[in-house]
Amino acid sequence: MLQCIFLLSDSGEVMVEKQTTAHRVDRAICGWFWDYVLAHAAGDASKVLQVVVSPTHYLFQVCRNGVTFLACTQVEMPPLMAIEFLSRVADVLTDYLGDLNEDIIKDNFVLVYQILDEMMDNGFPLTTEPNILKDMIIPPNIVSKMLNVVTGKSSNLGNKLPDATASYVPWRTTVIKDASNEVYVNIVEELDACVNREGALVKCEAYGKIQVNSSLPGVPELTLSFANPTIINDVRFHPCVRFRPWESSQILSFVPPDGQFDLMSYRVKKLKTTPIYVKPQLTSDSGNCRVNVMVGIRNDPGKPIDSITVQFPLPPLIASADLTANYGTVDILADQTCLWTIGQIPKDKAPSLSGNLRLEEGLTHLHTFPTFQVKFRIMGVALSGLQFDKLEVKNTPSAPYKGFRAQTRAGRYEVRS
Amino acid sequence: MAPTVPSPAKSASPSQPSGKSEVADLKQQLRHLAGSRAPDADDQRRDVFKRVISCMTAGIDVSAAFGEMVLCSATSDVVLKKMCYLYVGVHARNHPDLALLTINFLQRDCRDQDPTIRGLALRSLCSLRVPNLVEYLVTPLATGLKDPNVYVRMIAAVGAAKLYHISATACLDADLPAALKALMLSDPDAQVVANCLHALQEIWTLEASNSEAAAREIETLYSKPVVFYFLNKIKEFSEWAQCLVLELASKFLPSDNNEIFDIMNLLEDRLQHANGAVVLATIKVFLHLTMSMTDVHQQVYERIKAPLLTLVGAGSPEQSYSVLCHLHLLVMRAPMLFSSDYKSFYCQFSDPSYVKKLKLEMLTAIANESNTYEIVTELCEYAGNVDVPIARESIRAVGKIALQQYDVNAIVDRLLQFLEMDKDYVTAETLVLVKDLLRKYPQWSHDCIAVVGNISSKNIQEPKGKAALIWMLGEYSQDMHDAPYILESLVENWEEEHSPEVRLHLLTAVMKCFFKRPPETQMALGATLAAGLSDTHQDVHDRALFYYRLLQYDPAVAECVVNPPKQAVSVFADTQSTEIKDRIFDEFNSLTVVYQKPSYMFTDKEHRGPFEYSEDLTNLTVGAEATENVISAQRYQENDNDLLLSTSDKEDNGTATNNGSSASSYNAPSDLIGPPLLSSQTPSETLLINPGGPTNSLQSNFSLDDLLGLGAPEAPAAPPAPALTLNSKPVLDPGTFQKKWGQLALSLSQECSLSLQGAASLMNPQSLIRHMQSNFIQCIASGGQPPNYKFFFYAQKDGATVFFLVECIINTASAKAQVKIKADDGTAADAFSALFQSALSKFGLS
Repeated sequence: MLQCIFLLSDSGEVMVEKQTTAHRVDRAICGWFWDYVLAHAAGDASKVLQVVVSPTHYLFQVCRNGVTFLACTQVEMPPLMAIEFLSRVADVLTDYLGDLNEDIIKDNFVLVYQILDEMMDNGFPLTTEPNILKDMIIPPNIVSKMLNVVTGKSSNLGNKLPDATASYVPWRTTVIKDASNEVYVNIVEELDACVNREGALVKCEAYGKIQVNSSLPGVPELTLSFANPTIINDVRFHPCVRFRPWESSQILSFVPPDGQFDLMSYRVKKLKTTPIYVKPQLTSDSGNCRVNVMVGIRNDPGKPIDSITVQFPLPPLIASADLTANYGTVDILADQTCLWTIGQIPKDKAPSLSGNLRLEEGLTHLHTFPTFQVKFRIMGVALSGLQFDKLEVKNTPSAPYKGFRAQTRAGRYEVRS
Repeated sequence: MAPTVPSPAKSASPSQPSGKSEVADLKQQLRHLAGSRAPDADDQRRDVFKRVISCMTAGIDVSAAFGEMVLCSATSDVVLKKMCYLYVGVHARNHPDLALLTINFLQRDCRDQDPTIRGLALRSLCSLRVPNLVEYLVTPLATGLKDPNVYVRMIAAVGAAKLYHISATACLDADLPAALKALMLSDPDAQVVANCLHALQEIWTLEASNSEAAAREIETLYSKPVVFYFLNKIKEFSEWAQCLVLELASKFLPSDNNEIFDIMNLLEDRLQHANGAVVLATIKVFLHLTMSMTDVHQQVYERIKAPLLTLVGAGSPEQSYSVLCHLHLLVMRAPMLFSSDYKSFYCQFSDPSYVKKLKLEMLTAIANESNTYEIVTELCEYAGNVDVPIARESIRAVGKIALQQYDVNAIVDRLLQFLEMDKDYVTAETLVLVKDLLRKYPQWSHDCIAVVGNISSKNIQEPKGKAALIWMLGEYSQDMHDAPYILESLVENWEEEHSPEVRLHLLTAVMKCFFKRPPETQMALGATLAAGLSDTHQDVHDRALFYYRLLQYDPAVAECVVNPPKQAVSVFADTQSTEIKDRIFDEFNSLTVVYQKPSYMFTDKEHRGPFEYSEDLTNLTVGAEATENVISAQRYQENDNDLLLSTSDKEDNGTATNNGSSASSYNAPSDLIGPPLLSSQTPSETLLINPGGPTNSLQSNFSLDDLLGLGAPEAPAAPPAPALTLNSKPVLDPGTFQKKWGQLALSLSQECSLSLQGAASLMNPQSLIRHMQSNFIQCIASGGQPPNYKFFFYAQKDGATVFFLVECIINTASAKAQVKIKADDGTAADAFSALFQSALSKFGLS
């Protein structure tokens, strides 16, 4: 089980040290880890393996916004448990503090200690539900600060224990105060696609999430159904979802936690087409490489596609690059990648980027071909085609307001050249 | 004021404290505040406490302020209390005397009206880790376990485990485990139940080797009523507690198939859980339950495929690597089942290279007739990748697929296209592959040779690629028009060739060429041998000398040695034996899988077992020392799980392992055989040219002993005729053996010696196994590589149900054996030991 958790800054400095078991871990381990990071990833902790074996401990690490969450153990344990837990710690802290970075952690380290204390005892994860934690340790938001000033109470610890620890729906406290009686359901999809050198779509999958933001009084019973549930390949549910109704008739039946949460995530594989096309062409001879990239709409989703960008690393051994586009802006970033920001595709012309790469002396042909990473966003549409049928809310005093939204963005959309 | 609001007192930023003077200053302020009853005293204290803790976090020694901190701790402010608990928890251990001061207020807090404070105080009290304060801990813990509030019971349950780590006797004397067990089976709150389970597992596992009672308690944890009790409640547990329960279930041995199906039905929806840890733990249960049912096991694979693939794709990048490692393990076990999902393993540009590497291995494994074309097309795209190591890996992957398949036509074309890409590392990798391909499919030589002949050896810098090219030049010198001249030019540059591997290959290639085209090569051969003889590298020198003398002795013999008729290699030795893969599989959902090595290969013996910690720097507490001694039973159990493969499995694996080990020893001197490959079908070559296989090293050990004067094979004095007779055909299945081995206490442990002949003839476990069988001692499992072997034997007393179990570790180099005997009837153990030793000492003498 996890013996110790450290929070490290992006220079390897220990910001928080939380020992969880009787077997103290000397903080020298952080020094060892940082040397490892320097040696293997030039100081970028997000690039090293998540499970590292040191001479004395096994280390798990998760890196978020330059903050490394490092956990140590000396015993065999499920690695995913440690990694999931660290991710959860990061999520909870982000939730509490609004954001996560070195300064915020340092300013709020007492709060971080308090949260860690409740999240883990004796090396084993304890309470990780944000709703319950917030009942025990009040987040430092403006409301509570105001309250403190007004009431003169200066503790950010809840004065009573969460009821949910005794409830059978651990994700929900039994008494929800000042609920505004509304529920929002949001489909967020990411499209992963891979186009090979011949321009064929090798792989196209959508990973979706159904996010619910619920603010309902009492213990509401919700049922959500889809118009076309059969297209879904694999699903994962929030613990609140009952399995049987889904199994028998693909209906999501649940008592929601209060606030925002991911109700379900799913995968739709073998999509046939992508909304836009990106066609790169690189031809090289006698020390020059002609680059031409065309972007256009392949399959109109019916809603505007915006925030389109195309990014690719410049091949190594390039002496100079001269790239221009007839639409949007082209930037060469510090890490030798070219970022072409298009935004929306105009009605009257097809955006294209063209130019010339001058190869280094002595090279005639380009040997390594860059991969183009494409980003876009479409509001109002789930590209997998998943559609809600209806949402029923029972057990509330009055009919709540229900809102639906959908959005698709490019996840890992890669075009090889 | 909330602690987040920057306070004026924090003007010196907490992240950059100035050190010693700061501590003195803090002490001063604390002392000042200790008795203060000013209305804002708590706020001031909070600021100072914050600074103390921030100093502590920054690594500054603030233990000097311990007394002052304790003085200030009498407060009703909860945040202050928490900070103080944290401070005390860190420093109490080094100040046991001062820690006594804190006991008072902690004990008082344990009786507070507010359950939060009761809980926090109890947690802090258990975290003090000061052995001589244990007496103050027991009562609050016992009360805590009966507390009306869930929060306090939850903390008390874990506290009991903490107490056990500080002082096992205190914990046991207070009968806390029994209280925990009662609570575990009756408490209405799931988290309390889970914490009790966690604490009990920890306590009893560590205690098991000391007392049989604890071992029995562990058994009851894994018994049907308890496991089903937990499984039926599983949905009430938090996700982490579910992992704990699932781990428990994976160790449960169901009595019949109905139970297996019941459990699987109950747990099926866990595969849909949002938490990856729960999903993996469930998968482990499924895989373990269905181990004995082949059909169902396959269906389980089909069922778990989708959740795993989703976890890889949808989870955070951190999760996806660990999941991928587990997927990798499954893919390697059952590649066919994943062959239709090959697209899931396509590398994405944004994948880190360690992920790409795993994916490439999986793509290689699942390639079959139906998907080879797509996979190879995909792999070929990676060859132009910016990431050079991955480009290399993908070329190797193409080669491996080619070696697996029968229809290699298209693949050979692709490989030859790589050669035209004119990139040095691509060419080098491809040459190595073409060489291996030719060894397996000599029929392709014409196509390949045509292309290879066009490659100028000057463009290849990498030793492996160059060596491969030279091998082909030598092997196919009759088909390659200018082979002798290319070789000759290479020999001229002998001095500039830095890699001994290339020089070795060059020597052999010129020899081969000489026998095929003598007139053109004669000059070159002379120059080569001369250069070789004056080479500074021992292997090169020796081989040149060897060839020289061989030619001198009889050119015809030399030709037989250098150019023997070769059969195509049909199977290349796998680098990882199936045995190791099986062991890794047994440890599914653990670190093992991430390292792709069974835990015995990467963990120290000292650092193993589920609850076994080691104090690396400080070894202060009694508890820690106890830990060291205590875990052994658990560890052995695990060990034995590793080793208990059935004997028949072992026989197949034995050869694979041997091959694996010899492949490495062949590495340096081999010229005809690519280092990672070993053909079992070219023994003439290997035997003649490669000294130093395991056989030889064994013999050299033997002769070394001889030189040291230990030579005369001394037969140990014959032991007195054993009064014990053994059943000639005892029957014991591995499961029962394992169980017995876990249950029985050690009756005897001693070292005995083997005859030197015995040690020398113990080249594989089978010889000893047969010998012992003739003495009515059966082997149930064996393993190891020279010089260390490990055996598990068993025997049965004639006409009785008494079994003897033996663990025997033999080191052939020292001719010593470590024998551990466990017996159903301890009194007969001595007699059996004598019998066993006499049988062992006779090994090799007959």
